[in-house]
Amino acid sequence: MKKNYVMTLLFLLGILVSIPLYAQQTVKGKVIAQEDGKPLPGASILIQGTNTGTVTDIDGFYSINVPNAKSVLVFSFIGFDSKSLPVGSATILDVVLATSASDLDEFIVTAFGISQEKKSLGYAAQSIDSEAITATKQVNVVNALQGQVAGVQVTNSGGAPGQSARIIIRGINSLDPNADNQPLFVVDGVPVDNSTVESAGTPRGMTNRIADINPNDIETMSVLKGAAATALYGVRAANGAVIITTKKGKSGQVQVNFSSSFGMDELVKKPALQDEYGQGFSGVRDDSSFWPSWGASFAEENDPNYVFQDNWTNAFNTGKTFDNNLSVSGGNDKATFYGSFGRLDQEGIIPFSNWERTTAKLSGTVTASEKFNFSGSINYSNSGGNRVPHDRFLERMMYWSESTDVTDYINEDGTMKTYGNTNPIYDARFATYEDDVNRVIGNINFNYSPTDWLMFSYRLGTDFYSDSRTEITPGPMGIVGEQALDDIGFLEETRINSKDLNSNFYITLKKQWNESWNTQLRVGNDIFQRKYDRITATGKEFVIPGFYNLSNTTQIFASQGKSVRRLVGFYGDLMVDYKNFLFLNVTGRNDISSTLPKENNSFFYPSVSLGYVFSENFDMPSWFTFGKLRASWAQVGKDTNPHILGATFVSPSVFPLNGQVGFSKNSTFGDPALKPERTTSVEFGTQLAFFNNKLNLDVTYYKSNSKDQIIPVPISDATGFSSYITNAGEIENKGFEFVIGGTPLERGDFRWDVTANLTTNNNEVKSIREGIDQIVIGSQYGYASATVTMILKEGQSYGNIYGASYVRAGADPESEFLDRSLPQVIASNGFPLRNGNQLILGNAVPKLFGGLKNQFNYKGFEFSFLVDFRTGLEQYNQFGNFLSAFGKQEDAERRNETVVFPGVLADGSQNTKPVWLGQGKGPDGVDYGAGYWRNNYRGSSENFVNDASYIKLRNITLAYNLQPEVLNKTPFRTARIALAANNIILSTPWDGFDPESFSAGAGGNAVGFTGLGFPGVQSYFVTLNLGF
Amino acid sequence: MKLKNKIKTLLGVSLVLSASACESYLDVNDNPNNPQDAPISGLMTNITYETSWNVYREGSAVSNYVQYLASPNPGSSSDTMEPLNFSSLWFSLYNVMTDLYTMNEKAEAEGARHYLGAGQVLMALNLGMTVDLFGDVPFSESFNFTTVTPAYDDDKALYGNIMSLLDQGISNLQATTTSSMGNDDFIYGGDLDLWLKFAHTLKARYMIHQKGDPGYSAAEVLAAVDKGFKTNDQNAQVVFFEQRFNPWASDAIANANLNLTGWISEQFIQALDGTSYPTVDPRLKLMVGTTKEGKFVGTVNGAGRGNAPEQGARSTLVEGQYYTSRQAPLLIATFAELKFIEAEAAFATDKTRAYAAYLAGIEAHMNMLSVNSTEKSAYLTHPSVSMGAAALTIDAIFKEKYVAMFLHPETWNDARRYDYGYKNMTLPENLNPDLGGKYLRRLAYPDSEVSRNGANVPVVSLLDRVWWNQ
Repeated sequence: MKKNYVMTLLFLLGILVSIPLYAQQTVKGKVIAQEDGKPLPGASILIQGTNTGTVTDIDGFYSINVPNAKSVLVFSFIGFDSKSLPVGSATILDVVLATSASDLDEFIVTAFGISQEKKSLGYAAQSIDSEAITATKQVNVVNALQGQVAGVQVTNSGGAPGQSARIIIRGINSLDPNADNQPLFVVDGVPVDNSTVESAGTPRGMTNRIADINPNDIETMSVLKGAAATALYGVRAANGAVIITTKKGKSGQVQVNFSSSFGMDELVKKPALQDEYGQGFSGVRDDSSFWPSWGASFAEENDPNYVFQDNWTNAFNTGKTFDNNLSVSGGNDKATFYGSFGRLDQEGIIPFSNWERTTAKLSGTVTASEKFNFSGSINYSNSGGNRVPHDRFLERMMYWSESTDVTDYINEDGTMKTYGNTNPIYDARFATYEDDVNRVIGNINFNYSPTDWLMFSYRLGTDFYSDSRTEITPGPMGIVGEQALDDIGFLEETRINSKDLNSNFYITLKKQWNESWNTQLRVGNDIFQRKYDRITATGKEFVIPGFYNLSNTTQIFASQGKSVRRLVGFYGDLMVDYKNFLFLNVTGRNDISSTLPKENNSFFYPSVSLGYVFSENFDMPSWFTFGKLRASWAQVGKDTNPHILGATFVSPSVFPLNGQVGFSKNSTFGDPALKPERTTSVEFGTQLAFFNNKLNLDVTYYKSNSKDQIIPVPISDATGFSSYITNAGEIENKGFEFVIGGTPLERGDFRWDVTANLTTNNNEVKSIREGIDQIVIGSQYGYASATVTMILKEGQSYGNIYGASYVRAGADPESEFLDRSLPQVIASNGFPLRNGNQLILGNAVPKLFGGLKNQFNYKGFEFSFLVDFRTGLEQYNQFGNFLSAFGKQEDAERRNETVVFPGVLADGSQNTKPVWLGQGKGPDGVDYGAGYWRNNYRGSSENFVNDASYIKLRNITLAYNLQPEVLNKTPFRTARIALAANNIILSTPWDGFDPESFSAGAGGNAVGFTGLGFPGVQSYFVTLNLGF
Repeated sequence: MKLKNKIKTLLGVSLVLSASACESYLDVNDNPNNPQDAPISGLMTNITYETSWNVYREGSAVSNYVQYLASPNPGSSSDTMEPLNFSSLWFSLYNVMTDLYTMNEKAEAEGARHYLGAGQVLMALNLGMTVDLFGDVPFSESFNFTTVTPAYDDDKALYGNIMSLLDQGISNLQATTTSSMGNDDFIYGGDLDLWLKFAHTLKARYMIHQKGDPGYSAAEVLAAVDKGFKTNDQNAQVVFFEQRFNPWASDAIANANLNLTGWISEQFIQALDGTSYPTVDPRLKLMVGTTKEGKFVGTVNGAGRGNAPEQGARSTLVEGQYYTSRQAPLLIATFAELKFIEAEAAFATDKTRAYAAYLAGIEAHMNMLSVNSTEKSAYLTHPSVSMGAAALTIDAIFKEKYVAMFLHPETWNDARRYDYGYKNMTLPENLNPDLGGKYLRRLAYPDSEVSRNGANVPVVSLLDRVWWNQ
């Protein structure tokens, strides 16, 4: 193993063998930028009409020998307008280049926070700037990426304050149902924690930890997609990386920025619900019935005490968000600073749900001398709130009578006001779960350049947080006749401590060999450690009601979970640039992980990428502004979770009992010969610009294969284990990414910009280890055996949802797929016949998704809107299953109708039998029992596995910036007011709450189950920004 | 270029240094939460606890088949004998057997013969409970992870393993040991005499299953009975805990909270309320609850509750009775059961012994439930119950055993041996049409086995019988 990286380093060092230059008669000079007068290193100088040229050195100096005085030198640098100058008699030509207005010259922040010309990259990368991040007023930076970047799929797990959002780049790469497929988040060159620790009991919509970062502190976010882009971050970036660069001070005057915004949330969408029938069963009113809406018709009952309450509107509040931020920045040539303070308060649409975040940041850079500079930053955040049991809230809403006001939930003595069922609002108020997270992210960077071609850099990053959680469910208050939330009540105190350490040392060697060749080599060492410790103490049965302290409980249980993970990596990264149009990047990395068996814990993986800017090599027609081809091949290894190897014993949580602690063999067995997982990806792409950048296009094809996947494979319980963690399979993801942008109109002060992105994804389970037919990813409950399961099988794609369906006439008995186009078979009782066999009813992974952004500027006005969509996916609508069990869906208004179900009888003839849909005895004298929806409809999963496509207006913003002539009369440097709206559904076939919400939270792969989670919200914001 | 050389040297040295330092730095993967090894006594605690749960789990799985319980929902697949997925039951059985395998290996190595003996008895029990439900099951290639797809062993051969495990257990329980059981044993608190009686009781149970087999010997059964339980105090059971309620109690509480479960079958109510038999059984009111009006009304299996509301209209398990108190014992094997085994075994040869055992079995169960003496003697002296030795029938033995074994999975073994011949027992409504109007004879192999060990899982129908029920 150690041989591996030593060889790599030697190989890379070998390229640095000197090639001597010899001097001739020359023109010398310096190239500087117009804006700040700083030298431009790496600017290209070409003798017009030839292929001869050079580039400037690190201080902007160049020298070139020219054939004669008539020669014309073309000075160009990415991001600047080119200049052509005749040499004449000059021997010294200093040149000032002006910043160009085009968009192509982007620099993009890549590995280790190094700013790199996008032009030179051999792989696709996209970034969004601070304005795009904050325009949408997203609390969670993950959401700010939504619809903006090709290949990136962002999904809100729900609309709760602070609730996690999930980000997936180029599809799910793992067969492991519990794997976190999200990319690595890197802040200022240091990876940070983005885990979501869901509550152990009923789902509470916890936060993914990157939400501790204040979006207002972010300068840019770039998304590195393929393994090539992330080879330098090692195993933790196997799913890509999101590189966040925070704002820094700029030399010049001290700037103060203040922004304040107020937003409102409301339910984005509700299912279509019935409003004609009230509490009871079989059409009979019963004011204490368990059944919320199988009772009498309001119209027929005609009683002011038995009317529709519109609980589904009244139970939800208008959410509110206040966000205030203040930043101060400034500096001079030697040092800069940036400090900020942010405070966010959010109240959710479910009563008593809230979240707040306070952030403070201080960063600074110091250029001590020409050779030495350093910088550091510290980011403190405190976040948390009351997390309502949202899943249970909606379940209880489901059971709650349609003819009893749900908002009238409490008696004067504080007990629950109810006719029998638990009131959801009372539960949300008193069954609390509060988290309080204190987090400090810090980093410090040193750069030392003893000579102009050599630099030593060191970064140390820390990410510490403590998460203190308290869950309280009160017991009885001791009041006669009360209905308590729990028989005895309980209190659970959880304390989580997590500490991440990152150390990264690297050496950069730069060499400009001659006019044509330029190289840069970086070698380094990277160390990562995460220590995690959770302690949970649960107390049950309060002695004094309402006094919530562990010492006030009669039974106490405790549990603990600890882990340590360490990674050591060695890497090398060589960039070769030929005449500023051909770029080669070779990387190699060797990781050693503490989580793998010692024999297999060291693994090497290389990458190579090539970028070719052909438009600078050939003469192109004038309308062809820019053209580049790129290709890359990369591997990345992946380790596993800590402490999973071998066989262990567990003490089931029920102990101690009678003073005894029992032990049982752990049913999970980690393969002692586990190997690292390996993902190989290839990528081809092109970036084109036409008509002086009025139109540009970026197309990428990607394909990645993850082999030797480390999966907990379910095995026969009779082996002594139920789950065998081993290298068990391969999954393939492939697709295209398109980014099209342009400026269709630019006239005077008016400018219209358009960007669109589009991603296709196809994945396939290429293989599963021999002896295993399928891997169950997860399942979600449905009444009457309508439970659906997500199962992986070889040759199929990820995300297939299996469930019960109706029998179809003429269906291929061999096919696992339900063919909905075939006629249903109607049983002799006149209702559709149910198929007990589990068939594939849909697939939960979108095949196509993208976004379209339009931006209009006119003088101080800005108007923009971002539309995004996804299509080609189905989800299980558990809510729909529950609605039909309780007769709350709009369709249940047909309960007094007699219909003939379309379909064929077993003998193939058309069904003609009329049946009644209601409960009990129908008009035809037949007893229909619990009725069509309960007896038949809810038991067929196919009714609830539905198209979950949508088109959303993700964001629409109207802003006005005060113009200089007005500003001059005010104390402000800048002033801006903006109105924005987010997450407005334009179109979806989905009948339910926001189809984007799902039950699992951000940390898992079981995305096809919408569950009863916190429904999605749409928001409206008004924001004021002032600069001094 | 001197500097460059220096750097190269520096780099080389630091690489070598860091490579060796890194090995110990990375050696942190030992599991801090789960130990690599566990003490025998800790295993014994969990094994005895989980074994009692397995009896509950099986009882819960088959109580609708023997019509102790009925689903409140019409056409419920547990009533109508459809193939159900018993993956979690299967897991629990094999999980305990895995722990037994591990404990027995350790006990043997350490010379802890009493642990080994008790472990063999419990292995026999858990294996027996598995074979009786499923027939052929994995065993000989199990527990030691030699293969991820263990083969299935013949069920008759496995009965050989069961009997031999019991014999080995009996011998080890009487051997000298390096360590003794105590409070870690939730069944008997380390009482060896009771363990021996339990082992002989189980021998009687597993021998009576083989009644139709040529190898069956009534005398051997009776010999085992003689060494088995003598009183109710000796019952093999786990008494539940303040922190952990008896699961039947939890079912009763759940039902009271409208998570409907534990509804009593009409068949069971009518067997005790004087409908099917001439007597009203005084035990009925001590075993199940009544309607709001204080009546005993059962639910017809497969029919559901019809238009009856969730509460108050049918008999269900209610919290606080003998079987459903929070700290009620979970019964693994009882003196009453042994008496009925004795009655059945002696029936062909010694009617007097059979009759005495039959009456003793009823009385033992009544004593368990604390039936008052007036009602007890009234019942025991009713001519339909005390018909006399000559008039004793197998039907009477099976009927009384059915009552005495309420909620116990052994009743399903009896029902199948007895061809579901209980008086007035009828097929459930909405019976699984694949059964062609017959009662089911076995459980389907669980989905987890079909998906994980498919090639080895025998193809069976629900009408295929286990070996002792041919």
